[in-house]
Amino acid sequence: MADLISLRGIKRHYDVGGEVVRALDGVDLIINHNEYISIMGPSGSGKSTMMNMIGCLDSPTEGVYEFEGELVHEMDDNQLASIRNRKIGFVFQTFNLLPKATALRNVEVPLIYANISKSERVKKAEKALLAVGLSDRMHHKPNELSGGQRQRVAIARALVNDPSILLADEPTGNLDSKSGVEIMKILDSLHDDGNTIILVTHEEYIAEHADRTINLFDGKIKEDRQTKKRKRVVA
Amino acid sequence: MISLFWENLRISLGSIFGNKSRSILTALGIVIGVLSVTLMGTLISGLDRTFEKSMSFLSRDVLIISRMDWFGGDMDWWELRNRPRIKEDYVEQLREKSQFVAAVAPMAERGGSIIRGDKRIDTRFFGTTPEYMATNESADVKTGRYFTDGENRSGVRVMVIGGDVADALFPDEDPIDEYVKIGSHKFRVVGVLKKQGKFMGMFSLDNQAVLPFGTFQRLFSRRGWMNVRVKVNTDNYDEAKEEIYGVMRQIRGLKPMEKDDFAINQSATMEAQYKAIKLAIGGTGLFITALSLIVGGIGIMNIMFVSVKERTKEIGVRKALGATQSMILGQFLMEAVLICLIAGLVGMGLAGGLSLLINQFFPSSMPVGLAIGSIIISVVIGIVSGLVPSYQAARLDPIDALRYE
Repeated sequence: MADLISLRGIKRHYDVGGEVVRALDGVDLIINHNEYISIMGPSGSGKSTMMNMIGCLDSPTEGVYEFEGELVHEMDDNQLASIRNRKIGFVFQTFNLLPKATALRNVEVPLIYANISKSERVKKAEKALLAVGLSDRMHHKPNELSGGQRQRVAIARALVNDPSILLADEPTGNLDSKSGVEIMKILDSLHDDGNTIILVTHEEYIAEHADRTINLFDGKIKEDRQTKKRKRVVA
Repeated sequence: MISLFWENLRISLGSIFGNKSRSILTALGIVIGVLSVTLMGTLISGLDRTFEKSMSFLSRDVLIISRMDWFGGDMDWWELRNRPRIKEDYVEQLREKSQFVAAVAPMAERGGSIIRGDKRIDTRFFGTTPEYMATNESADVKTGRYFTDGENRSGVRVMVIGGDVADALFPDEDPIDEYVKIGSHKFRVVGVLKKQGKFMGMFSLDNQAVLPFGTFQRLFSRRGWMNVRVKVNTDNYDEAKEEIYGVMRQIRGLKPMEKDDFAINQSATMEAQYKAIKLAIGGTGLFITALSLIVGGIGIMNIMFVSVKERTKEIGVRKALGATQSMILGQFLMEAVLICLIAGLVGMGLAGGLSLLINQFFPSSMPVGLAIGSIIISVVIGIVSGLVPSYQAARLDPIDALRYE
């Protein structure tokens, strides 16, 4: 099978007040289907830029980014929006749900931008919420849900359009430890179901869930190692 | 894209109704703007229709020869004052000398009270000949009859009264063959004129009385204010007017270099005058009221900037989930247009209600075209004032927007 993601010589430089900041400075990385990867590094290491780059929110200053054969580095804004919609599911630290919409409507949003009919949308959104164990909370608004539940809605939203990768940025950062464990369980089982998951975190114990850990430092990959197989959670 | 349209509609409605007081205040600018523009238009069109209706009593084929122009002219008052009066024998001279005269009648006029017992009405009365009826299409006898040539010549004290006079003096009776008084002179009522309504909604054309010319002159004045009404027998009013000018100059004995010392008025003069006034009032009025719409539009633009700012994070999330620039643009544009549309409908509804109210005092009614036009204008204002904020939203960088707190 072809590589899922291939980054070759990726650089991302910012011009901050006349000074060039090298957020990513020549990154080569191959990610395969059904990998479970964590990206780590201290603040300023380029973690966020890396995540934005993989998430197609940002374009490289230099280098080649291939996503399932599509050349991301050559895309314009609308093409980037389209690939984010079709292939990437985001899970954010702060959940980023729409506060006035119910869980169901939040999960529907990516499908609206994919131009999917209402009945199909509802069906898929209900299925995704069922998968994260929220079938009884579909018509609740975010402020009527706990933090863990909100993050589960966000995961359902990320999954609803069958993306190629799930990109989770500090998914447990705003949660109490119990909820954090629940969320990690969900991510683990999603990986077991065949999903590709990329975690961005600075917590060692979160990173341990992944099969492969990439350490960034000063915009370069310092370390890329296979971690020991995590203990499978048997439900 | 249809599902996106409904989604945007839903988001917009949510945003508008989610910030009720803000939306109401913002919309108020547009409501007031649309209200004043439509009201202005309604008044102008009401004025127009009243004018048309009122003009029918001044038939286009009637020329009125007077000492003065109805609308100023360019002469000094002392010159006008020294103009000789219009004399009754012009009637016959015009009939003989002009080839365009279909009917011609003198009209002497004065104001006064008509009294019957303890009832009285202040009115205007005219002395004229039976031929007057032929020069005035809208004057018609409802009951009774008009006076005859014989009565006119012999100066019999008979009178034809207008509808208002009949209503005031004979509320529950038939006025025919009853007696009324002007001063100490007693008149027999022989006919009642059909009602014509008000002129420009201001003074009633039915508050008048018509006497035989001979009688009028004998009792009131031989030297009073007088006009001559000429109904022409052609459609070419300009040619007829030109010729009658010549005849009048001849009657007046004017030398070629001397200025006219009389005026020929017709409804067209009044029409031209009216149009100029309408243009001035309507143009200025619409311009000023349109300014209020622009102010309303600026309000919308302002609030849209706030809305975009407030929802920067949401925009970032939507972009991360796959919304393109045009989808975001559509979302905010929809919101701006929707506020304006709702405000426009409210403004139009208020204007419609108010015009019904005004109609009690002054004829007015909202034309359909104006109603549709004001809605279209609201939508256009929504688009224009929403465009820049929406474009700003669409162009936001998703990373910056997501990071925005």
